[in-house]
Amino acid sequence: MALEEFKSSKALTMGVELELQLVSLSDFDLTASSPDLLHLLSRKPFPGNVTPEITESMIEINSDVHTNHTELVAQLQVIRDTLVQAGEQLNIGICGGGTHPFQKWSERRIFSKPRFKEVSELYGYLAKQFTIFGQHVHIGCESGDDALFLLHSLSRYVPHFIALSSSSPYVQGNDTLFNSARLNSVFAFPMSGRAPFTQSWHTFEHEYFAKMEHTGVIKSMKDFYWDIRPKPEFGTIELRVCDTPLTVERAAALAVYLQALCRYLLERREEPPAEDDYLVYNYNRFQACRFGLDGTVVHPKTYESVSLREDILTTLRKMEPHAAALGSTAGLQHLVRITHEGSDAHYLRQQFDSSGSVEGVVDAAIQRFRGR
Amino acid sequence: MPDIQVILADLGWPLAIAVAWLSGEFVHRWTRLPRISVYGLVGFLLAQAFPEALSSGASSNVTILANLAFGLILFEFGYRINLHWLRINPWIAVSGLVESAATFGVVYLISHLSGMPSLTSLLLASLAMSTSPAGVLRVINEENSSGQVTERVLHLVAINSVVALFVFKVVVGFWVFQTSGSLTQAISHSGIELLVSAAMGAIMGFIVPLLLRRLGALAQDGTIAFALGVILLVAASRALDVSPVLATLTFGLAARHKRVAFSRTERNFGGIGELLTVLLFVFAVSTLEWERVVDGAALAAVLLLARFVVKAASVAAFAHVGGISWRKGLLTGIALSPMSVFVTLLLEQTKYMGIVLVDELAALAAMTLLLEVVGPVITQRALVWANETPGKEKP
Repeated sequence: MALEEFKSSKALTMGVELELQLVSLSDFDLTASSPDLLHLLSRKPFPGNVTPEITESMIEINSDVHTNHTELVAQLQVIRDTLVQAGEQLNIGICGGGTHPFQKWSERRIFSKPRFKEVSELYGYLAKQFTIFGQHVHIGCESGDDALFLLHSLSRYVPHFIALSSSSPYVQGNDTLFNSARLNSVFAFPMSGRAPFTQSWHTFEHEYFAKMEHTGVIKSMKDFYWDIRPKPEFGTIELRVCDTPLTVERAAALAVYLQALCRYLLERREEPPAEDDYLVYNYNRFQACRFGLDGTVVHPKTYESVSLREDILTTLRKMEPHAAALGSTAGLQHLVRITHEGSDAHYLRQQFDSSGSVEGVVDAAIQRFRGR
Repeated sequence: MPDIQVILADLGWPLAIAVAWLSGEFVHRWTRLPRISVYGLVGFLLAQAFPEALSSGASSNVTILANLAFGLILFEFGYRINLHWLRINPWIAVSGLVESAATFGVVYLISHLSGMPSLTSLLLASLAMSTSPAGVLRVINEENSSGQVTERVLHLVAINSVVALFVFKVVVGFWVFQTSGSLTQAISHSGIELLVSAAMGAIMGFIVPLLLRRLGALAQDGTIAFALGVILLVAASRALDVSPVLATLTFGLAARHKRVAFSRTERNFGGIGELLTVLLFVFAVSTLEWERVVDGAALAAVLLLARFVVKAASVAAFAHVGGISWRKGLLTGIALSPMSVFVTLLLEQTKYMGIVLVDELAALAAMTLLLEVVGPVITQRALVWANETPGKEKP
């Protein structure tokens, strides 16, 4: 099956996908409840889209295509309220967070859908360890070339999104000392990491994808678990490094930050992306996962070490005119607040300290998602 | 040379538990049948073969240990109950009350029509309302099930057990009043007993979390502190002649609502909890006699069928308004089958008052045995049919 043609879409439109945790309110562990929840939600119209995810303890929601922050956040709030209400009727807590703090991956059940079963067959325990929860942001691109240009230009900003969204400090009952431990699980997949360096859709399609398909290793774009990947059928690029934040407001803020960055990069005032930008990519990514906002990253062009927090604040300031043009100033202000107050990972650690248990951490995440 | 009877008396229970555990493991591995069904069956057969060796008085060590085992299970059970859910989705509580009331009515009617005295019928009907928390929780933990049937069964069992306990105590109080003529004595045997037990559990549920927070080591010390709390509660309940069932259940409820961790890895209270469970399920049937089981078998079969149909239909009737499919509603009702352990211990505690129901009610003996063995199998099947168990999926 050849790669689909890149479908042109309106530049800088955006859509958000959130993978959410389904928690039993009886014991705060993950519960295999997505069939029950989807059954209940199917009884009335849903303000967006809700689909099953690989294990029965997760669901994925996605927004419609939006152009501005106000509409995006409003729709995410309606989706959240609908989910929370349905969850309460079934004694299911719904929350964000990149990992469940104490679930055992071996107890998860693969959702009964052919693709999920195939993935499980191929990857064995990795599929169940993939019970992690991320936010994906799609940004519309007019052409495949634009998509690949943005994809590689954004690589320098990937640590920003990891640090700002980080909400997965606990895994299997322990503090991993990472702010985003979730991405370590993604890294185990052979087709994860960065996309190959090409800025031409034609080259990507006929040289890279065609060869990869010929090897038999991949069948479609879905088999790539890259940090940013093109999505030709939607005409978008998809950023996949974010943990699911604890609130939908933060999810919307991250989306509009990406939108503003894309607007800025498309002006092509920065030095164009180069293969060598990736020399420091994995190191910077690690710093963001491990230390969050307190990490230190190396600038890919100047090799200068900078504090991630400072780098984010500088970039946010640079994005102000773009945010103003896109109507997303409020979203960026939210992110400025995070750099002062700390990320969701910081919040979850505080909750562990005050409640004394990982169950207390889950409870706090559920309350925070409700936004009441 | 020591007397063979003395040796048997000393070795009887340990050997019975070992045989029951081994049989449970083998049968479970070959057939996937619930282990507790096997414990019950082996316990019953051994008790028939060696009645002397497996005798137990109200104050024997075995009875105390069985009470303790039941207390631990009830604590864990109470810990998983979310009272807030019953407020958010009142249909769960409604279906619980309706299935309890309907079971009571139908069982009373059938037993009364079969010629049983009114008071005895009332006691039998009140006991038939309950589903065994121990049986259900053990099957759920063994199957590692999760989903709406699992959640709802837990909450419905909590409701019907508390209702059954309450009605049973009221009927016993009425019995006491009829035989003694003393209203004070009657009330002290029902209302006050229930209140004191619930208060004791609630106080423990307040103190233990407070203590654990002070110690600052919830995760490490939680399980042992809760186990000690249960031991104290069971002992105090016995000393004060109040209900350890209600006390330990309330303890679990209160601890849960204080958001204190009972680690999932410690389900069943670990290895010691498992051991006590074997004892509990062997003990529960050791008091039954084969002759009585045979005598009551016909009536028991009718009552059980009626109980099964009423519970399944009542719960299914509220499935759609409660937010689940009709099918899952029906399976939830079916999963409410197990009955025995709760009943046996309730009767044990009532024996000291001179009410020896098992002896009078042959049907109850047969019901207890049947449901001890078959009940968990039905619950297990319901969970499997509801797709709430991992099934044959490889880890």
